[in-house]
Amino acid sequence: MEHAAVAQHAVESGSKIQDLAWAILILPLVMAFGTAVLIPKNRSLSAVFNISGVVVAFLLSFTLFCVFGGQSADATPFHWLPVSGLDAQIGLHIDALATLMLMVVTGVGSLVMIYSTGYMHDDRSYTRFFSTLSLFVFSMLGIVLANNLLMLFVFWELVGVSSYLLIGFWYEKPSAGDASKKAFLTNRIGDFGFMLGILAIWSVAGTLDIAALKAQFIANPALLGPWAGLAGLLIFMGAMGKSAQFPLHVWLPDAMEGPTPVSALIHAATMVAAGVYMLCRVFFLYTATPGWPAALCFLDGISAATIITCIGGFTALFAAVIAVQQDDIKRILAYSTLSQLGLMVMAVGLGAKTGDASASMYHLVTHAGFKAMLFLGAGSVIHACHHEQDIWKMGGLRTKMPKTFWTFALGTAALAGLPPLSGFYSKDEILAVALEANPIFFGVGVLVTVLTTFYMSRLVLVAFFGKPRGEGADHAHESPASMTTPLLVLAVPSAFIAWLPLGEFLSNHFTPGHAAHGGDILFGPFNHNPIAAFFGLGAALFGFSLAYSLYGKSPAQDPLSPKLGLLSQAMRNRFYIDEIYDGIVVPLHNLLSQVADAIDRWLISGLAVRGLAGVVEIAGRALRLVQTGSIQTYAFLFTAGVLLIVLLALK
Amino acid sequence: MDSLTSVILAPVITAVLLLLIPGNFRVVLRLAAILGSAWTAWTAVALFSRFHAGQEGLQFESLVPWVTVGSMNLAYHVGADGLNIGLILVTGLVGFAAVLVSWNIERHVKLFYVLLMLMIAGAMGAFASLDLFFFYFFNELALVPTFIMIGVWGRGEDRNWAAFKITLYLTLGALTALVGLIAFYVAAGANSLDVTVLKAHLATHPLPASTQTWIFPLIVFGFATLVGLFPFHSWAPVGYAAAPTATAMMHAGILKKAGLYAILRVAIPLMPDGAHRWLPVVAVLAVGNLLHCAWVALRQKDLNLLIGNSSLAHMGFAFLGIASLTVIGVTGTVLVMVAHALLAGLSFALSGYLETQTGTLDMTRMGGLLRRMPFYGTAMIMGFMASCGLPGFANFAGEATVLFGSWKSLPWLVIIAAWSGLVIGAVAMLRALRAVLQGPEKPEFSRVSDTDYWRRLPFVMLLSAMVLFGVSPGILTSRIEPAAKAVVAAHRTPSQAGESKAQPAAIPAAATATPGHSGH
Repeated sequence: MEHAAVAQHAVESGSKIQDLAWAILILPLVMAFGTAVLIPKNRSLSAVFNISGVVVAFLLSFTLFCVFGGQSADATPFHWLPVSGLDAQIGLHIDALATLMLMVVTGVGSLVMIYSTGYMHDDRSYTRFFSTLSLFVFSMLGIVLANNLLMLFVFWELVGVSSYLLIGFWYEKPSAGDASKKAFLTNRIGDFGFMLGILAIWSVAGTLDIAALKAQFIANPALLGPWAGLAGLLIFMGAMGKSAQFPLHVWLPDAMEGPTPVSALIHAATMVAAGVYMLCRVFFLYTATPGWPAALCFLDGISAATIITCIGGFTALFAAVIAVQQDDIKRILAYSTLSQLGLMVMAVGLGAKTGDASASMYHLVTHAGFKAMLFLGAGSVIHACHHEQDIWKMGGLRTKMPKTFWTFALGTAALAGLPPLSGFYSKDEILAVALEANPIFFGVGVLVTVLTTFYMSRLVLVAFFGKPRGEGADHAHESPASMTTPLLVLAVPSAFIAWLPLGEFLSNHFTPGHAAHGGDILFGPFNHNPIAAFFGLGAALFGFSLAYSLYGKSPAQDPLSPKLGLLSQAMRNRFYIDEIYDGIVVPLHNLLSQVADAIDRWLISGLAVRGLAGVVEIAGRALRLVQTGSIQTYAFLFTAGVLLIVLLALK
Repeated sequence: MDSLTSVILAPVITAVLLLLIPGNFRVVLRLAAILGSAWTAWTAVALFSRFHAGQEGLQFESLVPWVTVGSMNLAYHVGADGLNIGLILVTGLVGFAAVLVSWNIERHVKLFYVLLMLMIAGAMGAFASLDLFFFYFFNELALVPTFIMIGVWGRGEDRNWAAFKITLYLTLGALTALVGLIAFYVAAGANSLDVTVLKAHLATHPLPASTQTWIFPLIVFGFATLVGLFPFHSWAPVGYAAAPTATAMMHAGILKKAGLYAILRVAIPLMPDGAHRWLPVVAVLAVGNLLHCAWVALRQKDLNLLIGNSSLAHMGFAFLGIASLTVIGVTGTVLVMVAHALLAGLSFALSGYLETQTGTLDMTRMGGLLRRMPFYGTAMIMGFMASCGLPGFANFAGEATVLFGSWKSLPWLVIIAAWSGLVIGAVAMLRALRAVLQGPEKPEFSRVSDTDYWRRLPFVMLLSAMVLFGVSPGILTSRIEPAAKAVVAAHRTPSQAGESKAQPAAIPAAATATPGHSGH
């Protein structure tokens, strides 16, 4: 209601500045399409064209952020699929979450594109790369701006397909082809649930509009009755796909087959965050009165939010454990992303109690900055080492690539959660929420922090310190300015974003008027919730000292692997989840399709047709005619027969 | 000449002109066919754009009394509403595309184009006709060339078997429907096969429910065989695999829709009690299309068999929307019909071009073709993504609308349909893309070449239409919805009144005047 009033106000005062959102959304699409159709061969122009599109979108997003602040507004909608009873719109909604996310997507997007001019310089499909990136930015902005569930789903799918195209960018590599397919299909399983969730909510509430739904839920928290839990979980399935939560996490590590800038933009900062963003958008579903249908009565007393918390917490821990024994620089970062996404999802679930998911959104924003920087740094390393990705074949890169090293170290520190870097503050909010809600998840958060610091320190110590262990690292040198500049730019928010009152800003969105902290931002955590702050800091320091004791002397091999024995083997093999899927789920579907095919071949075609031909006289006659090769004769006889029947019948 | 007649006559006139051109003037024949089908397509587009959206009732109506056979009055009666205007449009577009991709036909060029033109004319006539005699005649006019074309220009070892099988199924289906139609004519006793006359007559003299119960299945399962409803479907994939490209495009894209159209035009609105009794069966059989055919598609190594089976799976959505009997569901079904016509046309055009380049459609032998065929590959990715329900293409709009329309009455089927469309369909399509386009380039295909400029026209045209209706499905739904309301309203009112047959006077006003808001 409040939001409608604001929109009304904006209309009355004659300012339709929110229609700028249309420009933000459409601009990257125009660039993608224009590049593909008009200048598919012009490399430099296509880069300039696409980069300027996203940069302008960023500037427009910043304008909207400044104009609207935390207020909400609606741009003029487009009636996409109008049928009575189902008015599906393409309508754009702006509020605190959306404006912030717009800046993240377009900001990281423009930096990644600038970086790509260096990274993809020698690729023969340079223009295709830029136009597909623009297509992705368009799709992602659609998710951010969507004002209704169906539009959310539409752009959700478009993000899926742009990710498919970008993971499979080097389509001639069989592994890239397989990875792109796997990513799309795993996401589709999540989308299946998402679609059913949308249908369930629509059939009860009669609307798809998120603001209208929110108003209905505020008026009646038990709106969905027994379907509340199921609808919440079905919608969450969509988030499980995009944000790669267990058990749908398997696609994200494989997605690293895509070019590294893609990994930075899509599989670290934006697309994978879409699930968390979506959960924050429909957060009212999870604060509603829980309920289950009679068949699921054993779940009474548990809310969808609790299940989400558990899945998020488990993913966070599970992925962090796997990351400890990975050797591929991008895979370590991929598992780290999984783990951090798990924390965010956990925070959404925990926040349902207080009605405030700002901790999760806050971590999403800071994580987007430093994780994109880490990925771009990893890309710079890979580029310098002639496409070597094994950290044990690197080493000594600290002096050879100083800019990359310092930004990577800064990103690591931010991810580990050292004050005054951004990661400390956002993670602290999650720990504080967990401490208040449930000590078990606080423990999970602290443990994840230890592991995170451990595997990231391992990565930095092995790759950047000591002596080069491989030929690539031996000849490495700093990447060109087009690649290091985005790194340096991204270092700024990673270091300083926490100096802005972002947490408060987001908190205001979820619980207006309850601005939590205030006062000194930098030392806030230590005053506000010292236990969480000190545990977080202590965990980081502990993780680092553990890593230093093992990898500080720059060993040639991982000293941890023999100590862990079989466990290390399991961690390296990602706890065999992929193998389980390949062994059970895939053969099951194959078996079903084999049975169906056999039925078609033998029962329906074989017995029915041949049997029919033997029994029914007309069929027998047709058969003989066909066997004499005169199908034309038959066709004419047939027409004549039909006419005869008609005439006889009408007598 | 009125507009609907001109869209039927344009291909007929073209066919006659083709007959006058000597058979060895191949280029002239080809160009004449292209011009003639372009003329048809243009007329159809003009008709579609002149159609007044949001309006109830028939437009472009034209009635010419013809003969009286016995007591029956036969009339040439054509008209357009939301149910058929979209189909007329796509018949024009797919017909034009089918003529364009047939440039490489070398044998019996003249006969080929004449038959193709007759197919287009037959389809146009079937969709435009409101008299069931003409509907049936035009439908046969379109079907018979199919059998001949498979026999003469077909491909593969099994083409005679395929031609036999498709003939057998379609003939039995058509005959069953014909028996049903005749029985319906006799039972209705309106002395007419004109749908509008029948509708007015039945409004005051409804058929007894017991009569509807046995006539309805004859008509519906007869026509459903022409669409490929499980388990009457197995003719379709083998038939399309053996058919020449243009025939597969026209049959899978256009002619299949005539069966659905007849169900929507005749069976559902005129026999509400029969519908009530039998649509649950149709819904259950649609599961066969949604799951069984989708699974069969997964197993296929031949690209045409894959497309044929997945096209059957899409028909499951169309039947589901019909079975829901809601305005949203029926609107969705018509959207699916229009969208799938474009998609099926595109898919078979794609596979046809691929075969001219690689000499095979065996996907296990292909790989890495995107490198040498960037335009073709892009078109294929777009088409296959549309097939697995990517938003932005018309197919998603249709299928999503069906899901929304059916959710309340048939939730389990919607779950199955969503799984089929979002997951199984995607597995099949992505496997095909992986096998054909991705992966390392193979040396045996080093000579394949991409489509050159004018050959891109059919692909660009069909894809543009799919994107246009995907980005703005409102163009179609605003036209379809009034007709969908009429279909559903005609069903609901008489069946409610059917329980109290004492007051038939209440029915006509409700059946014709205000379809009203008929969601649940």
